[in-house]
Amino acid sequence: MKRGGFAAWWFRRGRFAASYAVLTVLAVTTLIPFLWMVLASFKPLAEVEALNPLPSAWHPENYLRVFQQIPFARYYFNSLFIAAWVTALQCLTSAMAAYAFARLRWRFRDHVFRLYLATLMIPGVVTMIPNYTLMVKLHLLDSYLGLIVPAAFSAFGTFLLRQFMLTIPPSLDEAAAMDGATPWQIFWDVIMPLSRAGLVTLAIFTFLGNYGSFFWPLVLIKSEHLRTLPIGMLYFDTIYGRQTNLIMAASVMNIIPLVILFVVAQKFIVRGIQLGAVKG
Amino acid sequence: MRGRREETWAALAFLAPNFLGFVVFTAGPVLFSLAVSFTNWNLQRTIPFQWVRLGNFADLLHDPNFWLYLVNTGYLMLGIPLSIAGSLFLAILLSQRLRGIVAYRTLFYLPTFTSGVAIMILWKALYNPEFGPINAALGWLADTLRVAITAPTWLLSTHNLLGLDVEQVRLTASQWGVGARDALIIMGIWIGIGGSNMLLYLAGISNIPTELVEAAQLDGAGNWSIFRHVTWPQLAPTTFFIVVMSFIGGLQGGFEQARVMTMGGPAGTTTTLAYYIYTKAFEEFQIGYASALSWILFSVIFVVTLINWRVGHRELSY
Amino acid sequence: MLRAFFAGTFLVLLLLSAVAWRLQPRADMAGKTPLVWVSDDNPTRREQIALFNRLHPDLALRLDPGNTGMEKVIVQSLAGVGPDLFDCYDAYQLAAYVRSGVAWDITDRLQEMGIAVEREVWPFLLPIIVKDGRTYGFPTNAAVNAIWFHKDLFDRAGVPYPRGPWTWQQFLQTAKRLTVRDQRGRVRQFGLLADWWNWPQFVIQWGGSVYSPDGTRCTLDSPQAIAGVQFLHDLIYKYRVMPSPVEEAAMATAGGWGSGTITFFAGKKGAMALGARWWLCNMRSYQGLRMGVVECPHGPVRVFRGYGRATLINRNSPRREQALEFLKYEASREYNDLVNHQADALAPVIRYCQGPTYLHDPEFPREDYNAQWREVMDYGQPEQISPFVNGQAASRILNKQLDLIKNDAKPVPAALRDATRQVNEEIARTLERDPALRARYRALTGRERP
Repeated sequence: MKRGGFAAWWFRRGRFAASYAVLTVLAVTTLIPFLWMVLASFKPLAEVEALNPLPSAWHPENYLRVFQQIPFARYYFNSLFIAAWVTALQCLTSAMAAYAFARLRWRFRDHVFRLYLATLMIPGVVTMIPNYTLMVKLHLLDSYLGLIVPAAFSAFGTFLLRQFMLTIPPSLDEAAAMDGATPWQIFWDVIMPLSRAGLVTLAIFTFLGNYGSFFWPLVLIKSEHLRTLPIGMLYFDTIYGRQTNLIMAASVMNIIPLVILFVVAQKFIVRGIQLGAVKG
Repeated sequence: MRGRREETWAALAFLAPNFLGFVVFTAGPVLFSLAVSFTNWNLQRTIPFQWVRLGNFADLLHDPNFWLYLVNTGYLMLGIPLSIAGSLFLAILLSQRLRGIVAYRTLFYLPTFTSGVAIMILWKALYNPEFGPINAALGWLADTLRVAITAPTWLLSTHNLLGLDVEQVRLTASQWGVGARDALIIMGIWIGIGGSNMLLYLAGISNIPTELVEAAQLDGAGNWSIFRHVTWPQLAPTTFFIVVMSFIGGLQGGFEQARVMTMGGPAGTTTTLAYYIYTKAFEEFQIGYASALSWILFSVIFVVTLINWRVGHRELSY
Repeated sequence: MLRAFFAGTFLVLLLLSAVAWRLQPRADMAGKTPLVWVSDDNPTRREQIALFNRLHPDLALRLDPGNTGMEKVIVQSLAGVGPDLFDCYDAYQLAAYVRSGVAWDITDRLQEMGIAVEREVWPFLLPIIVKDGRTYGFPTNAAVNAIWFHKDLFDRAGVPYPRGPWTWQQFLQTAKRLTVRDQRGRVRQFGLLADWWNWPQFVIQWGGSVYSPDGTRCTLDSPQAIAGVQFLHDLIYKYRVMPSPVEEAAMATAGGWGSGTITFFAGKKGAMALGARWWLCNMRSYQGLRMGVVECPHGPVRVFRGYGRATLINRNSPRREQALEFLKYEASREYNDLVNHQADALAPVIRYCQGPTYLHDPEFPREDYNAQWREVMDYGQPEQISPFVNGQAASRILNKQLDLIKNDAKPVPAALRDATRQVNEEIARTLERDPALRARYRALTGRERP
């Protein structure tokens, strides 16, 4: 039952206007650092510190200079390459494991799953140190393998996909089983297509997490040609930090794939988070 | 009908790659880390390997740095309530049926989504005391208002809003001010306010049964009353989840900021436990001591989560 | 359908992996063997490396300044990704490198090459490369600190240029006349600028020592050591010819000079400075400086501290034979002349520091003090360490107490006694954990702890 009358209509309008005003102010506050970054990336160095936000002349060649100062293309390739491998491997292995937990019946199933769950609470540092010493002993320091393999297995991915798979009605499995399908076939032809949403969500978040992964490449990599974008950015800032315009250009290039990914896959991302897809 | 045997074999086949990785890179390391924390291993073969049992933990408790960095970790978590409140506020604003909501929501989520080294380098440039726009803006403000403000040196300053001292765990007036830790908190709020927490609250709000809200409106309740008696209690599970997650994240966080923006400084004031573990493990390679530290961190997280759970459940059961 | 998608994805990834493999920097660049040298990013390295690469067209040496740090070098070497060559700065680091198995024992190889290290290099460099009679590397440069002074400031004060040898008492008279105060009594120009890490020199000049000769105890609580450090403290707080930390900070903010003793000295905040020849790398870029050099004043004992750096070879490197060429280069005339010319301290090999090219470098005719730099080298004493304690732990303890002295926050005798006690406790702790060391200790002293 709404309060009637012109006063009520005006009150609602006023409230909406106030809300828009607040939202706009907050939106601008959120945007300002990004704006400054983009604008600074087009300025000559002297103007970056000036009060005037707009550059006197646009210098897109700053972006080219980034590629000349550091092997930025190589860093880009490494980041995307490694993230792609990790995502593909994680999706596949997690899906297979999730199927084993969600659909197949075997003796220690629930115990092992609880073990997986238990490890989700453990902070990353606890496992990073032994993983590093393992890499040292295996001589996998400073290598693509060292970056990809440890990151390719995730208890969290298994957990997430299992949740998705549990929502698929088992009658479909049984129908296929009665037609003589093996578990392998059921997995690929029944379960996986229906888990597409979960797979996409997992893929997005895995890719996102690995693209921005900082700690592991930082400790594992020492050679320049193996650096990923975050590490490359760090060194760029350490050595050329005073060239703020170039640093900002590099940052913009760093972020662009993320912005694109977000705009394109927004619905998956939002839903994924709301379904608890993000750890913490 | 498929036999149990067959399913077990199939399960093994499906599980194998993931389980192997799990054992080698997760479960195994956890046990290994626990074992190593009772040794003095330094990975370099320069000192003889020894089982020092609780030696590392004793050293830890007597290590003044440990307590300082524990306090730093706690200090940096002071922004969490602000961030959560802000997320709730934003979610409430965004849950009205206004036009263009999706655009606003996208925009607010951008800082979280793009968060990483690039954003931190951006903020490092923003906070530059001589050349950064924040101090430039403050200076312009001071000039226009004709007020004398000394712009804070942000990431170079050991000052903080609590007046924490630099070398001992105590409060002192000489360190009162705005400094590196506060700068990191501000940045953290900017990144997190429109992030996952806001989305979770949005979902929570959309799940509030409209009958409850309408009933309250019928009773003549104003906005604030509705919030206090309908919205907030209904969101309690979400808030609980968010608080627990934020605590867990906050206790083990601060590494990237420290490594990228301040190298743990100035004078160790932005070193959190996570960063301390990193320096001990990967710069000094004191693997035994660092493992002990990481297990202490884990225990703190465990205990805090337990406390949160207890408190949360008491609140939730009504 | 999904099966095909996954299969396709992995195929693409494998292809990309092949591409990544091909794009890796080739191990053999145009037939040259690449060598990696981990050292700090000092500008003088570039020329030193370029010269080496010119003399050895089959080798391509490059600098890796990003992976410095003893622990990193050791761990990376043990993991198979270590450098071929790396620098070592003191005897403690050498011991760690040897113990971890990363340093290559080249005693026999050097003998074969006809390089008699013990005779050729400055004696105080030997602890950095020789351990238990075996040699593991070759030094890159050597330095003994002396006193720089500004001739024009002396002219202005009407004080004749100092000539060595001279005692600290004689020095005080000169320093006081060269300390200039303004109307408010604040010092505008100090008589002496010195880095505090020179404190061990004061200890040995008063006849004390940081450790006992066999390294089994810390002896900083001896009356001689206390007297030496007390004098250093008094230079700041009693005689007021040297800046206190607060005054140093004030010098940094006022006048726009950066911090650092070299910058202060070049900015004429001090008439004299306790420094080294490698300061020239920095100071040559300043115009209009007229400087002289005199040996450092001495206490009851006329000794100075000698230090340097050495290059070691990674024992596990597959290119260690080629790396040996670099050490040979460090013993050669070309390299030593270059080091002297660059003023990267002094060349490591003694005989290259006495010819006319060294004494009067044609490119720097106003540097007429090279003879003094050469003379003080003979009085250089290496840093004292103890094999029975972790060097870093000991440094941390000592530096903490010395810092309190430097800030006048603790009296010298109390600070040094605490330092000695704590270091000896650290020795005891180290002995507890290491049976081999304990046995050595027992053999030397008949006891199991200091």
